[in-house]
Amino acid sequence: MRILDLLRMSSSSLWKRKFRTVLTVLGVVIGTASIVVMISLGLGLNRATMEQIEQSGGLTTIQVSEGRGGTISYSNGGMAIMSSGSSSSDDQVNRLDDAAVEMLKGLEYVESVVPILRVSAIGKYGPYECYLNIYGMPAEGLEQLNVKVGEGQLPMDSSELQFFYGNQVAADFYNPKTYDYPYYSTGEYAVDFMEDTVFIIFDQQAYYSSQYQSQNPGQDSGTSVQPPKKYIIPTAGVEKPNDENSWSSYGYRVLCNLDALKTTLKRVFRNKAIPGQPTTSSGKPYKDLYYNEVDVYVDDIDHVKEVQELIKSMGYEAYSNVEWVESTQQQYANIQAMLGGIGAVSLLVAAIGITNTMMMSIYERTKEIGVMKVLGCDMRNIQAMFLIEAAYIGFIGGVVGLGLSFGISAIINKAVAASGNMTNLSYIPVWLAGASVIFAVIIGMVAGFFPSRRAMKLSPLAAIRNE
Amino acid sequence: MAEAREPVIQVKDLYKIYRVGDTRVRALNGVDFTIYKGEFCSIVGTSGSGKSTLLNMLAGLEKPTKGEIVIAGEHIENKTENQLVKFRREHIGFIFQSFNLMPTMTAVENVALPLTFQGMSKDVRLKKAAALLDLVGLKKYKSHRPTQMSGGQQQRVGVARALVVSPQIVFADEPTGNLDSNTSKEVMELMQKVVREQKQTLVMVTHDNHLAGFADRIFHIIDGKIVQIEENAEHKDAADIHG
Repeated sequence: MRILDLLRMSSSSLWKRKFRTVLTVLGVVIGTASIVVMISLGLGLNRATMEQIEQSGGLTTIQVSEGRGGTISYSNGGMAIMSSGSSSSDDQVNRLDDAAVEMLKGLEYVESVVPILRVSAIGKYGPYECYLNIYGMPAEGLEQLNVKVGEGQLPMDSSELQFFYGNQVAADFYNPKTYDYPYYSTGEYAVDFMEDTVFIIFDQQAYYSSQYQSQNPGQDSGTSVQPPKKYIIPTAGVEKPNDENSWSSYGYRVLCNLDALKTTLKRVFRNKAIPGQPTTSSGKPYKDLYYNEVDVYVDDIDHVKEVQELIKSMGYEAYSNVEWVESTQQQYANIQAMLGGIGAVSLLVAAIGITNTMMMSIYERTKEIGVMKVLGCDMRNIQAMFLIEAAYIGFIGGVVGLGLSFGISAIINKAVAASGNMTNLSYIPVWLAGASVIFAVIIGMVAGFFPSRRAMKLSPLAAIRNE
Repeated sequence: MAEAREPVIQVKDLYKIYRVGDTRVRALNGVDFTIYKGEFCSIVGTSGSGKSTLLNMLAGLEKPTKGEIVIAGEHIENKTENQLVKFRREHIGFIFQSFNLMPTMTAVENVALPLTFQGMSKDVRLKKAAALLDLVGLKKYKSHRPTQMSGGQQQRVGVARALVVSPQIVFADEPTGNLDSNTSKEVMELMQKVVREQKQTLVMVTHDNHLAGFADRIFHIIDGKIVQIEENAEHKDAADIHG
């Protein structure tokens, strides 16, 4: 038989039983729509999270910090690493210095390496003071941060120390006597970095000791502590304020040029230990400054894990968003599987409906099938006719169900948008649309397989019997 | 003349035994006969005589317990069901007692149905079917559905459908069983005429001796055995004249 004739006969026999066909198709519609909507919810959640991750620090950055154990020596070779033993390497701290930065730069897939030196200081303005987190980075590192500059510019100049303030720093100024935060009580910032002069105190220990002394003059601790020197650091610029939909991860930071910071720190803490920096066992500072963190930018997200493992094997701590992304994706895959499973149950019910309809139809048409066999219709053609009928039910149900899914998806997104959320919660990509229709057709054919075999095997004698 | 006749159906020592509980029912109990090309034969017997079983076996709808059936030079007793379907599609036409037309199809589509199974294109098969409807005198009823036609008209469509594939043999199972006597006569005369004009072989099963009289040869079957083969001289002559 020709395929066109098969299709025509199948569709006409479905058409003959319109009402029953519609009911069976309705089952598939509901099943398909529930699977598609459920999966679209999972996909939408996943996509929203990935966008969020991408915004917060990107997916190709590895944050390296000092670590214990392992070996940073290239020359030792594999055996040497093994034989270096646990006793010696456990005590050894692998610190991040310029040599380490150079070594990280030399790794495969690494695009750029940004060392970060973190120090804290106290900012004073009138009666207010504030704890400042200062991040020193090289000029190219500052550029890579994608900070939105509101006023002024980034502190690119390495010869003079300049500060660039995050958009939340000003809000952190408070009065230490009353514990009053002017921003939170009045809504006004206590300080405008572009206009006002802020005094910076690097030596916090000395500052607090002198504060304590001045508040308790009666108690004599023996040696009097000199109040530390205050510095005036020029302001390079400030970050653009947050608007409703954006949130800066640099808001509470003070950014500055690394080399300028190093020079200043060495001058401020001449012959003294710089807070936050390691010391020798006798409490003396090392000659060099060590970085608190080194950001390694990898060329492609697929290489992040590899590079991260390599850095870890060198004895450093390494952290990237990859683990987060992987665990999130795993989590959403589970959610998707669960939601899809709920949808699958209704499609299973629809499949049973198809089988039931086909079986009934075959019982009704026993005589018709017998006649076709007597007239010489090939057994495979008879099976094909019924399979095509079931596939039609699946196809129509799949297409209508997909249309319904788009409708439901639009309603969900509208509801989510109305509640003030920006992202689309339900997302139907092209592959899901295509796959759902194909899946519905396959479900139809699987459901119709047993009935179609039954039809094929019916005896032609049924045609002869006279009722 | 006898030497010139070409055998189309040869049945040798045919048995069909049904098991009903513990007892064995011999529906066919050793049947032998030969039917020649261009013959109109009727098989007559009472209900339960085994005539329907014999027809079913000749058409390959049932398998014999024992014996040989050679139709158009092919042994059909060992064929698989798929082979039998193919065999029927190519060599056999079938006329049913209850017409068995497809209710959703028009007369011309019904006639064209066996050609559809052969994979013939729509234009060609509808043309052929239309020609056969003309032959059975239903020129004006081509686009009528079975429900819009009388029993006699429906059976004419059935006859046309059996003949459309130009089969070597046409089997008819009580073709007038659902018709009144006047219509029966018309249909019988039509079958007789068409078979002669097309030089086809027709094997008809009936319980009615009068209707059996339209045939050239009449096989009387009682309790699964052919007891008498009656040459219908009057028709024989007519057949010779026509042939």
